[in-house]
Amino acid sequence: MSSHTISRRGLLAGAGAIGAGLALSGCATTTSRAGSAQQGGAITLQSDLSSPLAEKAMQALVAAYNKQSKYTVNLNTVAATTYQPLLPTYLTSANPPDIYTWYAGHDAAHYASKGLLLDVGGAWSTMGNYQPALKALSTDATGKKIFVPTDYYWWGVFYRKSQFAKWGLSEPKTWSDFLNACATIKSKGVTPIGLGAGTGNAWVAAAWFDYFDIRLNGADFHRALLQGQHSFTDRRVVDVFTTWKQVLPYFDPNGTAVTWQEASNQLLQGQTAMLLTGTFFADAVPKGSIDDLDFFKFPVIDPSVPDAEEAPTDGLFASSKTHNAAAVLDFMTWMATPAAQNLWTATSSGTVIPANPQATAPSTPLVQKGKAMLDAADQLTQFFNRDSSDALQNTANTALINFIQNPGQLTSILSTWQSQAEQVWKTA
Amino acid sequence: MTLLHTQAPVAPAAAPLRRGRLRRGGPARTSPLILAFVLVPLLVESVSVFWPAIQGVYISLTNWNGVDAPSFAGLGNYSRMLHDPVFLKALGNTAIWLLLFGGLSAAGGLGCAMFLQRERRGIAVYRAVLFLPVVFSLTATALMWQTLYQPTGMANGLLSAIGLGGWQHAWLANPNTALYAQILPALWREIGYVMVLYLAGLKGIDPALYEAAKMDGASAWQQFRHVTLPQLRGVNAVVVSVIIIDSLRSFDVVWSLTQGGPFNSSQLLSTYMYQTAFVNTDFGYGCALAVAIFVLAFGVIVSYLVRAFKESD
Repeated sequence: MSSHTISRRGLLAGAGAIGAGLALSGCATTTSRAGSAQQGGAITLQSDLSSPLAEKAMQALVAAYNKQSKYTVNLNTVAATTYQPLLPTYLTSANPPDIYTWYAGHDAAHYASKGLLLDVGGAWSTMGNYQPALKALSTDATGKKIFVPTDYYWWGVFYRKSQFAKWGLSEPKTWSDFLNACATIKSKGVTPIGLGAGTGNAWVAAAWFDYFDIRLNGADFHRALLQGQHSFTDRRVVDVFTTWKQVLPYFDPNGTAVTWQEASNQLLQGQTAMLLTGTFFADAVPKGSIDDLDFFKFPVIDPSVPDAEEAPTDGLFASSKTHNAAAVLDFMTWMATPAAQNLWTATSSGTVIPANPQATAPSTPLVQKGKAMLDAADQLTQFFNRDSSDALQNTANTALINFIQNPGQLTSILSTWQSQAEQVWKTA
Repeated sequence: MTLLHTQAPVAPAAAPLRRGRLRRGGPARTSPLILAFVLVPLLVESVSVFWPAIQGVYISLTNWNGVDAPSFAGLGNYSRMLHDPVFLKALGNTAIWLLLFGGLSAAGGLGCAMFLQRERRGIAVYRAVLFLPVVFSLTATALMWQTLYQPTGMANGLLSAIGLGGWQHAWLANPNTALYAQILPALWREIGYVMVLYLAGLKGIDPALYEAAKMDGASAWQQFRHVTLPQLRGVNAVVVSVIIIDSLRSFDVVWSLTQGGPFNSSQLLSTYMYQTAFVNTDFGYGCALAVAIFVLAFGVIVSYLVRAFKESD
């Protein structure tokens, strides 16, 4: 799963960086302020945003901070593929880097439970305006704040407005609406649902699992399931798959063979009508086509289940062994301000939402709609791997792709999944 | 004495005498320079290869997630292997890979070398073309093959063009074809490499042997069977070692094309080891898998070499 997370993060950051790099190059060139005060020593920001554009944007961001602060932050960018396996090594080393780019969720909570993460409550004292869901996400089991979110994005069922208008369809709100829409689209000779879970992209299928589970069983059950408190052979998990089976005939039969990039091309070219995807895909969409794109939230299946949405959140945490906690907190506090988050997100292609509600989110209609959907949600989940672990994601990849290809073998697929998951929870 | 040591090989006339004297002198008189030539690389090797390898074996005896201190698990990770269906699948796939990839690249490489050994006009172009895939990064190669294998890609297009539309597959997404579809890009690369090794071997065969065989009325097949093959024995040892090592580490193709999927159907020991250690951060089990790979590679190569040397004695 490493590459999935990374590609999503990388893509987002990469596209965001195109503009950010340009916008910030002014700051970058004016950072060599002679004789700046360096009380307490410089601190290191370890970053996995290693695509050239993202790295440039991070450099500009750090330069902008150093320019106005008495502390100095040094950026150390590590190749994204190396970063993930090395993160535990960094954190447990005797003299670790101070601050890390990473995501909230299981990983952060896991490191916090080992006492490896710094209490960043100091930074949070300036972040009273943040959404409660983000606050909860950044809090560990003991009530300590361990994470500072900088930006997040959303998942939705994307479609082309012109296509839906042609077929006389409106956005489905309920499950039966959705099934009807699928049937209508199929009758027009178009594949209703694209997937893009092929060749190393199996993780994409987990979005469907996540949404079925949080729509049918709720976010609390979903999280508990991913933490090993319920079995994958549970009746409620079986419900997820029996509901999934209702739409499986509408899936692209090559959905497990093509990449998500290919799947988003199919959507743009009108070969498929709908695609459940994170907003990262839009970064590669030509400017002209993006205006025709819209999305609707994953249809409600059981109205009695509290509303939850997937909102993968990126941000920073810090090592508890830092030698200069004051500088770390100062930088984290700065990164939580609207000014810093505007620098990072304002020039992106319009798919990232800054975590600070006061920051000016890109004003495109898509982002406004996405933000409104997340604001209205009762709870936010991250994504399968972020709410569990990359190891559990691997077991999900195996089970979900097998299910999509062989829905008749559900029982054995689920028992295999459970035994593999038990192994993961045992070794975690 | 130091002087004698270093001079001995460059004074051929006096060599027999001096060599005799040296031998009597024994190893106690080895020059410090020679010692340094042996010990310094040994030290570097120990620090950079042997020590990490020994550590890897130690980690394989523990449970370690990279965060907590490793806890000793004895042979737990090895017994887990025996009950791990994914490991057994990966082991089987590695064996298939070894046989198909190894066999076909040896046969294909030898075939190409035989075909291209005679100097003809433009032959260098053909050799270069066959060798070219070796030059490319395998990850880049894999991406190219990925587009060929797409459901709407060239492979399926070709099949339908020649009237075999029924044979079309989602090659990399179908658990029955994924492994074999990935052997092809690996072969495409390896054959050129093996060809070069065999070309060098063929060049080293004394043409007089063929002359003699022809005089004795040997057919082309008999010449190949009784002159070429025995003469290539030395090269064979190299080729077999290279092929075994390459197939056990043929990680890049599979990792960039399917990551062992769909549902572990194309998992190899190398990809499973990587996934376990570096994606799942289950370092104990990952190291145990690495030790298993090492034992397999080492065992196969050593048993081959022992046999080869016995035959040549």
